[in-house]
Amino acid sequence: MTLSPDRATVGPRDGGPTATHCPYCALQCAQQLVRAEGPVPVEVQARDFPTNRGGMCQKGWSAAEVLTAPDRLTTPLVRRDGELVPATWDEALDLVHARLEGIRDEHGPEAVAVFGGGGLTNEKAYTLGKLARVVLRTPYIDYNGRFCMSSAAAAANRTLGVDRGLAFPVTDLGGAEAVLLVGSNPAETMPPLVQHLAGARSHGGLVVVDPRRSATARLTEHGAGTHLAPVPGSDLVVLLALTHVLVDEALVDADYLAERTTGWEDVLATVSRWWPERAEAVCGVPADTLRRTARRLAAAAPVHGGGGAFVLTGRGMEQSAHGTDTVSAAITLALALGLPGRRGSGYGPLTGQGNGQGGREHGLKSDQLPGYRLIADPAAREHVAGVWGVDPGSLPGPGVPAVELLARLGTEGGPRALLVHGANVVVSAPNVGRVREALGRLDLLVVSDVVPSETARMADVVLPVAQWAEEEGTMTNLEGRVVRRRRATDPPGDARDELWVLSELARRFGHDLSADAREVFDELARASAGGKADYSGITYDRLDAGEALYWPCPADRPAGTPRMFEHGFATADGRARLVAVDHRDPADDVTGDRPLFLTTGRVLHHYQSGAQTRRVAELVDAAPEPFAELSPLLADTLGVAEGDLVRVVSARGALELRARVTSAIRPDTVFVPFHWAGALSANLLTSDATDPVSGMPEFKVCAVSVERVAARNARPVLEEVHA
Amino acid sequence: MRVVVVGHGMVGSRVAEELVTADPTAEVTVLGKEPVPAYNRVLLSSVVAGSKDPSLLSVAGPAHPRLRVLTGVGAVDVDRTARVVHDDAGETHPYDALVLATGSAARVPAIQGVALDTGLVPGVFVLKDMADATGIVEATRSARRAVVLGAGVLGIEVATGLAARGLAVRVVHLGERLMERQLGWEASQVAVASLERMGITTHVGSSVVGVTTRRGRLDGVRFGDGLEAAADLFVMCTGTVPDTMLARRAGLTCDRGVVVEDDLRSPDDPAVFAVGDCAQPPGGATGLVAQGWEQARRVVLRLARADAVDPAASTTDVVRVKASGMSMVSMGLSGDFDRDDPRHRVLSLKDPERGRFVEVVVSGGMLVGATCLGDAEVGATLSALYTRSMPVPEDPALLMVRALSGGGPGVVSRAPADLEDGDRVCTCNSVTAGTIRAALADGCRTAADVSARTRASTGCGDCRTTVEALVAHAADGHQQDIEHDPDLVRSES
Repeated sequence: MTLSPDRATVGPRDGGPTATHCPYCALQCAQQLVRAEGPVPVEVQARDFPTNRGGMCQKGWSAAEVLTAPDRLTTPLVRRDGELVPATWDEALDLVHARLEGIRDEHGPEAVAVFGGGGLTNEKAYTLGKLARVVLRTPYIDYNGRFCMSSAAAAANRTLGVDRGLAFPVTDLGGAEAVLLVGSNPAETMPPLVQHLAGARSHGGLVVVDPRRSATARLTEHGAGTHLAPVPGSDLVVLLALTHVLVDEALVDADYLAERTTGWEDVLATVSRWWPERAEAVCGVPADTLRRTARRLAAAAPVHGGGGAFVLTGRGMEQSAHGTDTVSAAITLALALGLPGRRGSGYGPLTGQGNGQGGREHGLKSDQLPGYRLIADPAAREHVAGVWGVDPGSLPGPGVPAVELLARLGTEGGPRALLVHGANVVVSAPNVGRVREALGRLDLLVVSDVVPSETARMADVVLPVAQWAEEEGTMTNLEGRVVRRRRATDPPGDARDELWVLSELARRFGHDLSADAREVFDELARASAGGKADYSGITYDRLDAGEALYWPCPADRPAGTPRMFEHGFATADGRARLVAVDHRDPADDVTGDRPLFLTTGRVLHHYQSGAQTRRVAELVDAAPEPFAELSPLLADTLGVAEGDLVRVVSARGALELRARVTSAIRPDTVFVPFHWAGALSANLLTSDATDPVSGMPEFKVCAVSVERVAARNARPVLEEVHA
Repeated sequence: MRVVVVGHGMVGSRVAEELVTADPTAEVTVLGKEPVPAYNRVLLSSVVAGSKDPSLLSVAGPAHPRLRVLTGVGAVDVDRTARVVHDDAGETHPYDALVLATGSAARVPAIQGVALDTGLVPGVFVLKDMADATGIVEATRSARRAVVLGAGVLGIEVATGLAARGLAVRVVHLGERLMERQLGWEASQVAVASLERMGITTHVGSSVVGVTTRRGRLDGVRFGDGLEAAADLFVMCTGTVPDTMLARRAGLTCDRGVVVEDDLRSPDDPAVFAVGDCAQPPGGATGLVAQGWEQARRVVLRLARADAVDPAASTTDVVRVKASGMSMVSMGLSGDFDRDDPRHRVLSLKDPERGRFVEVVVSGGMLVGATCLGDAEVGATLSALYTRSMPVPEDPALLMVRALSGGGPGVVSRAPADLEDGDRVCTCNSVTAGTIRAALADGCRTAADVSARTRASTGCGDCRTTVEALVAHAADGHQQDIEHDPDLVRSES
């Protein structure tokens, strides 16, 4: 048994530190929490761990501040005469139960919907899925991971047969001579990951594809690599052109393609259409730069004697109405280079949310049951129904993906009640104006959260729950490793563990759901047995002993699987199924009236909808408000100066922001970060066109116009979130 | 619906494959007279340049149950009354809609001695199909001196490709400018100089009137002015002629190509469409594959959905020359146009020393034309702006230099000692140089002390060297040598 530094340690009640992981992103940096004197009950300390090597970003260091956010929810709230007023748990839960029963009696079980989040622990995600399927018996469940990983998941499933995020430990990146990062900005979104790019940078092999010269793109400076800045929405063209060059110059791993894949002939026909000069006119990356980049990647590939290469994808290319196809093109490139399943090389998406991986494995997705099983698969239904002690026929069928679920709320025949857990949909969904209207049509909105998020403020019932340092559970990080979250302090006031809340609600419907994290995990492990994401060999005892366990970890192969695909892919014949894909223009393409591309993204100091980070003073100080990034060329065109107030308009909405003039962005593109709410929400503008395979909305490209509203010293843009 | 597509080239294959996907009732038959399935003709010049793996040329998609592709089978006749196509294998193909995608043939100029009854003299080529390309490649194994006739896009691509294979190359061009459809006078002069640097001699305003042979093989060419040059390879890149034979025989109106309306139908018969090089739409044919593919898309839309609103043609006319080591792109107004037209604002930058020439044409706040030689970054940005009709700056000169064309250096470098107190050293944790100096003044002695106190370099770790330099600087109490300090940090300018 290998002991990693993830062992359970004595908790603060006994005076020692508690070993846990950061509440934010999927890197799940290791932390230890020690009891602190003063208003904040614990202090965050760094802890050595392979993924973060003792590093953390400002969000992680300041994570404890959210525990004592001034507006932390500490008592259930019930809307009376239009106002949310305090209530007891019994009052609140009885009300929820009675209202749900009434709605179900009148409209049937499909009138109730559940919306989860990728920040929930595996135990909570599993229990929420079980609540929907067994207690509420509704097909309408989905989660905000749909806005995050769904395209990467769909593409990996269709080609590799399984989706585990990275199919290798993140430390493998360190030995590579080239790393291609497409649409990912880890230097801002998961900074400690950058340590693992040092090897590629020292070989000049870091390739970053991003329309912006992001903090990650800057890591390629001084000879460390290459930055390709394509037109937003044209990543697929870049990937096809890179593959074209590999074929053109006989750089593909022909033996690997012949032995380990099928479909290469079909792929060639579309790859043939994207010679670098044609690609250049569409993506704006010079043809010779594409050629040099392809050669650089090939030189690092094992087939050419290189030290290893990785292709990594991020939301920049996945959050598109063609996201699944774009990821398929990235996987094709990796397979053409012979990377997946070779030690020291590979393909993988960088998962965003803390438990975006586990969430999609254990039943938050509309078409899935625990263990990454398909709900439409009779064998899967039978197995899971057996663990749950119900008739397989009683389980609902597949529901609909998030954007459609939200659109159906309150419509004829659509859900009339919605339970939201760990999501802030009126900030994080695309075209939030429409989402707000949809929530307004509901008969009942119940939100469980730690703070009064913008979504919670619209609710009929708000349930205060525990978070991070106040709870036990597991998270599955971006490399498919299961890590422990441990309790170091008590939730404030009347806030309760979400498992308890779900259990109490189920009890009112006459069902028994465990509120104990360890018990839930053991049941989850049984439910996942035999599935793709098999956790049946994992226990709290093993995790608490510090074992590094990556799924699949079946009971009969308890060592788990740090590296996948070494002996074949998870397809019927063990070969990767290449999928031929071609470029299509964005759903909301630029026009004469809206001649610029908008792309959205994150800043280092905030996380997702900002519900947590906008409550941490030092993070707000560092990044107080959203802004619109414009190139000097565009600023000149529009007559805009640094700091001017500009109005960004799309077909769906408008936003007034400060202009930030920087040469770090293409002249045809505007960037707005998405962490703010209300009139400052970037998602007032974004398109809710979705990918036909994954249901992923097209967050990363839509058409806008920009005009100057006022000069720098005009009225400030102020935010009302703390109100 | 039964659809027959005549021609299995880049455009015909696209129509057939997209149609079976778009229309679940479509049964499509494709007749292709070449013995191989559709391939990427645009890349033939790259085969000559020696870069192509032949497998890459295939553009034929996967098999489909409702798609029947006959290779090596030509159409000989269309009976428009009976709505059938007769092929040269004796088979008859009924259709509800017929799509002509017969392409074009290379134009062979009247040059004394180039042709025999059996074809071109050994050593003389056109470049139109795979056999031509492989023939030229074969010939380059023994050839040392090549003459390329015609300095259009294809001629330039072939000439640079042959030069890259080590041949001495002459380009002979009847016009006074190279690529006269794309390049104006000044651009052409810059291009001539660039070609010279690649070892290619250009003869403009000249022509080849005859070839000489020795033992049945080419050994020289004779120019219009009477001069002769030794040559063992002669490639004629003098344009194409649309293949309208089948259409003419079927009684369809043909001019230079098969005449079609905006919706790509023949005015004589609503069941017949023509696309690609063989077609002559109202706005004229560009000879670019982008136009053919756009036409394919529109025909498919029309056939798959009778009620489809025909989208406006959105074809792009960006011409990007595939010449390794020489970046050349033109779009819209370029070549020979009225530069004195008061509606157009024309700016140019000429830098023959570096082989650079940039011209932009702005009208009504839009980029309506551009020519760019020798600056790949600027060329790529101009193409992207032009293709999507992006607005251009008040001063279009800003479009002509790389520093402002996006992705340029947005940062300044400073030595640690020069950092202002307000400069951020650690982005991950928002730690400024001032905070670090304060920590040092307050007793921190090592970089580890500073990290523990301020969290600097505990994120991505990229600023560790800067932190160490600040620590060293505080300890030494003197400034480090800026010139030789490797630990430069960057802050936003």
